Amino acid sequence: MSTVIEARNVHFHYTPGVPVLTDVTLSIGPGATAIIGQNGAGKSTFVRLLNGLLKPVSGTILVNGVDTRTQTVASLARTVGLVFQNPSDQLFKSRVIDEVMFGPLNLGFSRDEAEARAREALAQVGLQGVETRNPYDLGLAERKLVTIASVLAMGTSVIILDEPTIAQDHAGVRRLGAIVDELAAAGRTVITITHDMNFVARHFRRVVVFGQGRVLADGDAASVFSRPDILHQTGLEAPQITRLAQALALGETPLTVEQFVDLVRRRLSGSA
Amino acid sequence: MAVVEVDNLRYRYPRQTTLALDGISFTAEAGEFIGIVGPNLSGKSTLCHALIGLVPHFYKGAIGGRVVVAGLDVHATPVAEMSRRVGLVFQNPFTQITGAKLTVYEEVAFGLEYTGVPREEMVPRIEEALRLLGLWELRDRSPFALSGGQMQRLAIASVLAMKPQVLVLDEPTSQLDPSGTREVFEAVAALCRQGITVIMAEHKIELLAEHADRLLVLHQGRLVADGTPRDVLSRAVRGELENEPAPAPPVTEAAAALGWTMPEGGFPVTLDEAVAVGRAVMAGDSGADSR
Amino acid sequence: MRVSLYVPADTWLHRLDPMTKLLMAAAGVALTFVLARIESGAVLWAIFFTVLGTGRVLRQAGSVFAGVGIIAATFLIVQGLVHPTNATPLIILGPVVFYKEGLLIGLRLALRLYNILSATLVLVLATNPADLTEALVRRGAPARLGYVIMSVLQIIPTMVAQSAAIADAQRSRGMETEGSLWVRVKAFLPLMGPLVTSSLIATEERALALEVRGFGSSARPTFLKPEVRPPHAGLVRIMCVLTLAAGVAGRLLLGW
Repeated sequence: MSTVIEARNVHFHYTPGVPVLTDVTLSIGPGATAIIGQNGAGKSTFVRLLNGLLKPVSGTILVNGVDTRTQTVASLARTVGLVFQNPSDQLFKSRVIDEVMFGPLNLGFSRDEAEARAREALAQVGLQGVETRNPYDLGLAERKLVTIASVLAMGTSVIILDEPTIAQDHAGVRRLGAIVDELAAAGRTVITITHDMNFVARHFRRVVVFGQGRVLADGDAASVFSRPDILHQTGLEAPQITRLAQALALGETPLTVEQFVDLVRRRLSGSA
Repeated sequence: MAVVEVDNLRYRYPRQTTLALDGISFTAEAGEFIGIVGPNLSGKSTLCHALIGLVPHFYKGAIGGRVVVAGLDVHATPVAEMSRRVGLVFQNPFTQITGAKLTVYEEVAFGLEYTGVPREEMVPRIEEALRLLGLWELRDRSPFALSGGQMQRLAIASVLAMKPQVLVLDEPTSQLDPSGTREVFEAVAALCRQGITVIMAEHKIELLAEHADRLLVLHQGRLVADGTPRDVLSRAVRGELENEPAPAPPVTEAAAALGWTMPEGGFPVTLDEAVAVGRAVMAGDSGADSR
Repeated sequence: MRVSLYVPADTWLHRLDPMTKLLMAAAGVALTFVLARIESGAVLWAIFFTVLGTGRVLRQAGSVFAGVGIIAATFLIVQGLVHPTNATPLIILGPVVFYKEGLLIGLRLALRLYNILSATLVLVLATNPADLTEALVRRGAPARLGYVIMSVLQIIPTMVAQSAAIADAQRSRGMETEGSLWVRVKAFLPLMGPLVTSSLIATEERALALEVRGFGSSARPTFLKPEVRPPHAGLVRIMCVLTLAAGVAGRLLLGW
C-alpha cells in the first residue's frame, strides 16, 4: 500500500497539560478509511493536523512525504480537502454554483475551469438544477451536500469528511456511501469521521478507533468490529447485523445484511 | 382518554403552494412512546411544531383540522400557555441553551421563572428534573461547558421541569455520538414509564424499533402508516409502503430475507428478538429458510 | 474569552446587593459633578481607590485607568496650551508653552473622567451582571430587556469561537487569510458571511426554543434566587447618602 499521509509519534494539546492526542502513529493510503470514537476522542483534532490547520506539538505529519510544518494551509489545500461538520461554518455565496467555485478559484483555476469543476462536483453529489439557488434556501441535508461538492471540486487527492451523515435521511446516507465508493475506486484517499456504524461497515475498508487521544484499534472493518471489548471501551457498538451474527455465534463477522444472509444460508445448508 | 388528538390536520407554510401536512389524524395515550419516521422534508418537524402551537402561531400560514393536546385546543391557545402542558426539544442542543443563565441549575429555572412558578415549587422541580436526566452532579457547570449529549439532556430537563404531560422531541440525537444518543433514549424511556407521553421524530430506526410503542410514517406530509414497530417495519421490508419512506433495521431486513418470523407473526425488529428467532432456527433445522 | 469584565471574588464589595452598588455608583457620579475643586475631586478618587482596593479589583481598574490615560493626557495638553483663560506660563518647552490655568482645568476634567470611570467600575468589576439584571427586572425593568443583556454577554463569546471555526473552514478551501492588506480585505466576506447568516439561523432557532420555555408568557415572572441584602448594605447605603449630602453642603457652604 502506498502511503499518502503519515503521522509519526504525533502529540498535540491546546492547553499544556491537557493532552488531546498522545503518540499517534498512522499511515493512510488510497481507499476509504473511517475514524471512529466518542466525541472528545481527538478525531476532529487529528484531521485538522492533516491539512495543516493545526501543527503537532511534537512528532511529524507528512503529506506525500512533505512535513506539514513547512506548508501553509492554503498550499496544503491543493492536496488535502476537508469538509467541516457544520455547513453554516462556510456557506457565504448567494448562489450554490459560486459557493462550489470558491475553492477552485482559490487554487488558481480560471473561471471557466472552476465552473466546469463545480458543475461536475454538484452532479457527483446529486445536486443538479440548484446551481442558481441560494444555499440557505436548501434543507440542511442538501446544504451539507453543497459543502461536500465545494471540496470535491478542488480535485484534491485526499478528501476528509467530518460527520457527513448528520441530518441525512436514508436516501442521503446511501448517496454519500456511493460518493465514498466512487472516490475510493478512483484511487483517492477518503478519510471520514463518523458515528454511523452501518455506514462504516458498508463503505470503509479500513477502520481506526480513537479513544482518549490514542489509536485503540486499526484494521479492516471486520477485524475491528469483531472486538466488542475495544468498541465498548470507547462507547461504540458494532453494526446491528454484526452483533446479531456474534450473538448467534456464526464464527464470522458479516458487515452487511447481504453478507449475514449469505453466511446463515451457508451454515444452514452445511448443517442440513 | 387520549392526551393527544390530531384530527385531519392540514397546514401550509406562508408563500408555499404545497401542503406541509396533509390530512394527518392520530391519537396518543398517556405514557405512550410514539416514533415519527420518514425522509427529510416529509413533515416530521412541522408535525412536532404543530403539537405545541409553533405551527401556526409562530410560523403563521394556513391551517385546518384540529389539534387537542392535554385538553387544550392548540390552535386557540398561545404557545406560552401550551408550554406548561407540552415540552418540545429541538435538534440542535446548542441553540436551546437560553444563554441568559450561568449554571445548569439556573438554566432549568428559566422557564419556571418566566411562567411565574413560585420559588418554593421551583427548587424541588429543578432537582427532580436534573436527577432524572442524570445532571445533578453537573448543576454548577456553565451550560456551554457541557458535551452535546449532556446539553441535549439539559434541554430535556429544562422542559421537563415545566411538568408537561406530553414531551415532543424533534430529531434530538442527530448531532450526538452513540453514547450521547443512548443517554437520551434511556432518559426518554424512563419518562414514559412515569406516564409522560413521548412523541419523537428520529432517523435512528434501530433505537425507535426497540423503544417506541408505535411508529407513525410520514411521506410528503401524509401519514402513510401507523402501528406497532413490528407491524410497520414488517410492512416496510415487504415493500408494502409506497416510495420506501421508512428503512427497516438491518435485523428486520435480514429476517425478511431469511423468512425468520416471530411466533405471533411479523418479523423481529430488535436485536434481542432477532437473536431469539435466529437461535431457534439455527438450533432446529433449516425449515425456516426453505420458503 | 469573556465579554463581561466581572471579577468574581468574595469581598465586602462583592457581597453587597446590586442595588446598593448601583446607589454607590450613582452617588459617585453625582458627586463628581457637584464637587468643583481639584482637591475635592482628588479626595473622591481616593475614596474610590479604597473601595476598589478593598474590593480586590484595583489591578483590573488600574489597567482601565491606564487605557484611558491617553484621553486624560489630551485634556491636559489641549487645555494647557489653548484654554482662553491661560495667562501664567508654567512649563516652557521651546516654542511650546503650557499655562497654569489651562493645566488646572485639564486636571479637573481628567479627575472627573476618572471619578466617573471609578463609579462605573464598582458596578462593572465587582457586580455579577446576572445579579444586576435580575435586580432591575425585579424592580419592573422589562424581562425581555434583561434577557437581551444577559444573552449578549454569553453569546458573543460563542460567536468568537465560531468565527475561528469559519476561518478554519475557508482556509481549508485554499483561502489566504494572512498577508497584504488586499488579501485581508478579500477574506472579509468569506469570514463574515457565514458568521452573520449562521447567527441569524441560531437566533431563529433560539427564539423558538425560548418560546416553548414560556418566554412569551404574560404571567408575572418569579425568581429562582431569593433577593438577599447583606447586613452591611444598610450601613453602606447610609454612608453613600451622607457622603452625597456632605458633598452638596460643602459645595454650597464652603465652595468644595
